Amino acid sequence: MRINPTPLPDLLAALAQTQLQQQTALQQIASGRRVQVPSDDPAAAAVLVLNHAGTTATTQFLHTVSNLAARLQVADSTISSVVLAVQRVLTLGVQAANGTLSNSDRASIATELRGLQQQLVSLANTSFQGTFLFGGTASLAPPYVADALQASGVRYDGNANTNSVQVGDSFSLAVNLPGAQIFQNAGADLFQGVHDLAAAVTANVGIPAALAQVRAAFDSISAQRVFFGNALQQLDSQQSYLNNAKLQLAQQENTLGAADLAAASSDLVTAETARNAALQATSSLLHNSLFDFLK
Amino acid sequence: MGLFTTLGIGVRSLLAEQGANEVTANNVANLNTPGYTRQRPLLTEGDPFVLGPLTLGSGVVFGQPQSVRDAVLELRLHDETQQQGRSDSSLVALQQVQTLFTESSGDLGTRLADLFARINDLSANPSSVTLRQALLTSASNLAGTFNNISRQLATQRRNLDLNVEQGVAQVNELSAKIAGVNQQITALENVHQNAAVLIDQRTVLLRDLSQLVDVRVIDTGTSIAVTTSTGTALVAGGQSFALAARIDPSGTDHIFAGTQDITAQLTAGSLAGQIAVRDQSIPGLLQNLDGLASALSTAFNAAQATGFDLNGQAGGNLFSVPPVGSGAAAAITVTLADPLDIAASSDGSPGSNGNLSAFAAIQKQALVSGQSPQDFYSGVVFQIGSATSQASAESEASGLILRQLSDQRAAESGVSLDEEAANLIRFQRAYEASARVVSTVNELLSTAVNLGKF
Repeated sequence: MRINPTPLPDLLAALAQTQLQQQTALQQIASGRRVQVPSDDPAAAAVLVLNHAGTTATTQFLHTVSNLAARLQVADSTISSVVLAVQRVLTLGVQAANGTLSNSDRASIATELRGLQQQLVSLANTSFQGTFLFGGTASLAPPYVADALQASGVRYDGNANTNSVQVGDSFSLAVNLPGAQIFQNAGADLFQGVHDLAAAVTANVGIPAALAQVRAAFDSISAQRVFFGNALQQLDSQQSYLNNAKLQLAQQENTLGAADLAAASSDLVTAETARNAALQATSSLLHNSLFDFLK
Repeated sequence: MGLFTTLGIGVRSLLAEQGANEVTANNVANLNTPGYTRQRPLLTEGDPFVLGPLTLGSGVVFGQPQSVRDAVLELRLHDETQQQGRSDSSLVALQQVQTLFTESSGDLGTRLADLFARINDLSANPSSVTLRQALLTSASNLAGTFNNISRQLATQRRNLDLNVEQGVAQVNELSAKIAGVNQQITALENVHQNAAVLIDQRTVLLRDLSQLVDVRVIDTGTSIAVTTSTGTALVAGGQSFALAARIDPSGTDHIFAGTQDITAQLTAGSLAGQIAVRDQSIPGLLQNLDGLASALSTAFNAAQATGFDLNGQAGGNLFSVPPVGSGAAAAITVTLADPLDIAASSDGSPGSNGNLSAFAAIQKQALVSGQSPQDFYSGVVFQIGSATSQASAESEASGLILRQLSDQRAAESGVSLDEEAANLIRFQRAYEASARVVSTVNELLSTAVNLGKF
């Protein structure tokens, strides 16, 4: 059988093929990625779309977790200050209930109580990054405003609503408590209590009743405070869960999309060898015919 | 029988070897000519003459040189060229399309993920104007990406349309050329001349035509006819029939043979590949993008409507209302200008984020074909990726087959320099020997002529 006398096109095709292999390997090594365009591995490319969506979402959840943690910490420490102030109110109330105090002593206690009332109101009006922490969802204006028409002297402008924020694929967390719920539970209205106590101390009448209301408010606040501790704890464990999830997504991306550098380098060497061999074969073939030997 | 007979044999032999050398020279000269099939000198014995009891040879006759050609192999080559024309042209087109769906900082998947991240960001601080602005920017980036992809797909469709138009013009040009060559071949063959060179030319033209459309070559005995695989005549003997590219109501070029639309009948050749991407792949992708864009704007607008903006007003549309039918991806824009108008609140208070959960829920919602937006988009990426990788595999396979067939053709019809060198020497030696015969006869004749002299 006659053989193909002009194998040059075949050799050129082989050269092009080795060159393509070299380029592919080089691109993989340079970019570190195996799937550069969807056709490189359609199934992996499709999963990578979801993987990157997951990574973006997880990164965002982590960001939100740290945002919320900062806010909740401020709220928590504000409540601590409230608790300290209320303890001082209780101490003063107990002192004032002691019948041996002079009028002027009680007057100064009443003055301090009014000061504490103001301090408590301002604590309840604590804001974080421009929003008020204890106004429910009406958080753009101070929730507690001085109002002589109110029995307690302060008016609650907030509402009773709460926000919850998504911090995981299927995990949302309530992130605020309305001031009314913390400070003004029925029969345990802090501001009413302190206001009444100051008045009772001045008049030296009905101190125990007022004191009882403050104590009830104190208990209520202490109970509500657990909310913030819990939320912070949940955020903490969610953070480590999210970090773990992010790591797994990164590993999946690596498995799906990253170039196997060892394989790519060895591909490169193989392609180079093949290319050199093809070049050598081509060059020897180009000057080799019977004509070269006829003189 | 006499010396003049011998002289005649010698001279004919000289001419024959010279002719054989010419064939060799022509082979060498056409070593690199595309479509050239090597020729063989046809040397036959001369008719014998009978002289009494003897039958003697009368030397050599130089006949018409023959082209060494395998007609069946040429047909296989036409076929495979058509397959490669189709897979190559669709591969080139799809490779351009898939860059629009390749992961980058601005691809649709990234834009979608970013929008949902901004929603989550805002939910932690719903009254922040900065975060609201970031959400709006992200939404308009998403809309812009939809617009951009759909615009580029439309551009690629138009480019393919131009290719089809040019392709049809090339088909017509080639058909006309083939018809012309057919006429020349018939004319030559009618006077019993060798048309080998013209047949080579016609083969090259047919191969070029195969690159563009799926053609069948029918041997009519006296000439050839060329039709598309579904029977539309392109060439019949010395006559060619032009195809026409005309704009169809759909706005793309359709191919007509006379009044018949044959666009959908083309199954191979680069025209078929371009038409498939133009009429199937790209419209399929556009339809999916339209579905996604339309469902997203509807869902976000519905979410806006259930909440209140920062001023306590009911939320207005975030995205433009999608047009009925197609074109949603091209038309989608963010209509909400003021970041304060994002309806994050569920109770009318500025600090409420309750309604943002309706926004966030869209990420998991069965929005298009029962899939969440990101699942659906991931499916679109798979769709274009696998179409491209399939075209690439087909192109590689048909390239391989084509190379093998070309090898076989070259083995049959290609010029071998070794062979020609050997022939050259063979014919040269024979020529020298014949020349010696002539000079010897000449000496003998002069001896004979001088017999009477003293």
